[in-house]
This record gives sequence, structure tokens and C-alpha cells, in this order.
Amino acid sequence: MNNYAGLVTRALAFAIDAAIVDLTGIAVGVVVGLALSVLNTPDDVDKALLAAGGVIFVLWTVGYFVVFWSATGETPGDRVMRIRVECRDGRTLTRRTAALRLVALGLAAIPLLAGFVPVLFDRHRRALQDFVARSVVVRVPG
Amino acid sequence: MGLIGYVLRPPLALAESVCLAALDAVLAAPFTDEAVRRVLASGALDRALDEALAGPLVDALARDLVRHGVPERLARELIAAGIVDEVVQSAELEKGVDQAMETHLVDAVVGRLHESDELWRLVAEIAESPAVTDAIGRQGVGFAGQVAGQVRAESERADDGLERLARRLLGRSPRPAVE
Repeated sequence: MNNYAGLVTRALAFAIDAAIVDLTGIAVGVVVGLALSVLNTPDDVDKALLAAGGVIFVLWTVGYFVVFWSATGETPGDRVMRIRVECRDGRTLTRRTAALRLVALGLAAIPLLAGFVPVLFDRHRRALQDFVARSVVVRVPG
Repeated sequence: MGLIGYVLRPPLALAESVCLAALDAVLAAPFTDEAVRRVLASGALDRALDEALAGPLVDALARDLVRHGVPERLARELIAAGIVDEVVQSAELEKGVDQAMETHLVDAVVGRLHESDELWRLVAEIAESPAVTDAIGRQGVGFAGQVAGQVRAESERADDGLERLARRLLGRSPRPAVE
């Protein structure tokens, strides 16, 4: 019965991943910002760099989840909480499925996190992104 | 040695034998013990010892003891005979150590050590040694692992509790067991 990870465990794992992604982004942003502050760049260049930074941050976020899910099925947060994302037959997600799962994860969060509610009622504890990507989140025996 | 030596050897050997026989007779005689007792009681021996200890004899003796490796040989024999173990485990030594700890000696020793630069250099070397840093690192990782394990256990309980609560609120049956 406890083979699938529940809502709290998954939320904690995601919180750890979010902290890693955000703190890394902030650290890089601070370093780049300080470096640029000594250069007298025009406003247009600053705006372009800001937009580029935003795009890079999105790519970094997408890359983080897609690479980990498709490589080992475990992000660092998942590793800490000993859970793993995998296909229903136990295989690791492909990059395309992992990307699809990430998009669905974003969609699940939009309606006041309603997309995660099925975890509480589904027998395989699946959320919207799991239905879309045909994945499950299982506990890894420690 | 020559002719004289050759001629004198027999009488000298005879005289030596006579002297040794006389010494044996003196040592075996009943008055010898009494004479030794009287000498010991007279204080003459104390005075002689005092004179000897005040003179260069002790220094010469110490030099000879070191030269012939007597302390090492003695220690080896004591360890081999198990006497050192007996002394270390004896109640008398424990009592003596306790008494020494109660004196100001320990405070004085600790004070000296505290003021010693060598001690702090040694402490720094030990603290920076790979064995100590590895041990600290392992302890840190072990502690983090313990915390993570505790969080995992709590989160599993919270998963089940939250799910039961949600299902009860909506009047649904508990989640069926799945493989």
C-alpha cells in the first residue's frame, strides 16, 4: 500500500528542488549583476540582459527537472526523500515524456494546485502530470 | 713473569687458598651475625652511606647504569614478569592517583600545559590531521542522514494521515492496497 509516494513527501521533495533551482539562479544573478554594475552599460543592453537572464533561468529550470527525471528518475530532492519518477512499467521517462510531465506539472498548479488533489484519491497516488505522462512516483527502498 | 714469578706462584696460590678458607670460616662463625648487627645499629653505616651519597659516587653510578642500559633491561624484565600490569591494576596505585589528583599538582600541571605553545601546536596538528577531519565529516554526513531519515518517516506518516482525512471528508473508503 505504501509503495507510492504521497502528497506530503512529494511536496517536500519539490520544495528541496525549488530551493536548489532558485538559490542557484539567485547566486548566478547576483554574480552577473555585480559584474555588470561596474560596467556602464546602456539601459537597452540592461533590459536585453535581463530578458536573456529570464530565458536562461527558465531553461535552467526545465533542464534541471527534465534531465534528472529522464536520467535517473530522481532529482536531488527526490533522492533526499527516497522517491523516484518512473513509467508505470518501471522504465525511466524519456526526455520528451519528462518535458511533457513538467508542462503538466505547471498546469496542475495553476487552478489553485487542484491538479495535485488526485494524489489523495487515486489508488496509485497520481497527480495530473502523472496522468498526462503516464508516470508514477514510487518510494525507493532504503 | 720470569723466574721469580715462576718460583712465587705456588706459595701465592697457597696463601690465596688459606685466605679464602679463613674468610669462609669467619662468615660461618656465630659472632659474624652479631658483629653485622652491631655495625648496623651503630649508625656507622648510615654515616658511610651519607658520605657516599654526598660524593661523586651517585653520579658515577647513574652514568654506569645508563651506559649499561640497566633501566631498559630492568623495565623489560618487569614487563615480562607481569609486575607492571599488577602495579597498574593495583588498588594502591589507584588510591595514589586519586590522592595526587586532589592536590594542587594537577592544577599546576594543567596551568603549565595551558601556557605551553607546544601543546597548542600539537592540538592544531591533531585537529588538522586527516583522521580527525574525516571523522568529523563522517559525523556530519551521518547526522544529516539521520535528520533526512526522520523527515522521510514523518512525511510517510503525513502522507497516509492526509489521505485518510481527505477520504473521510468526502466519505470515500480507504485506498485499496496495490502492489
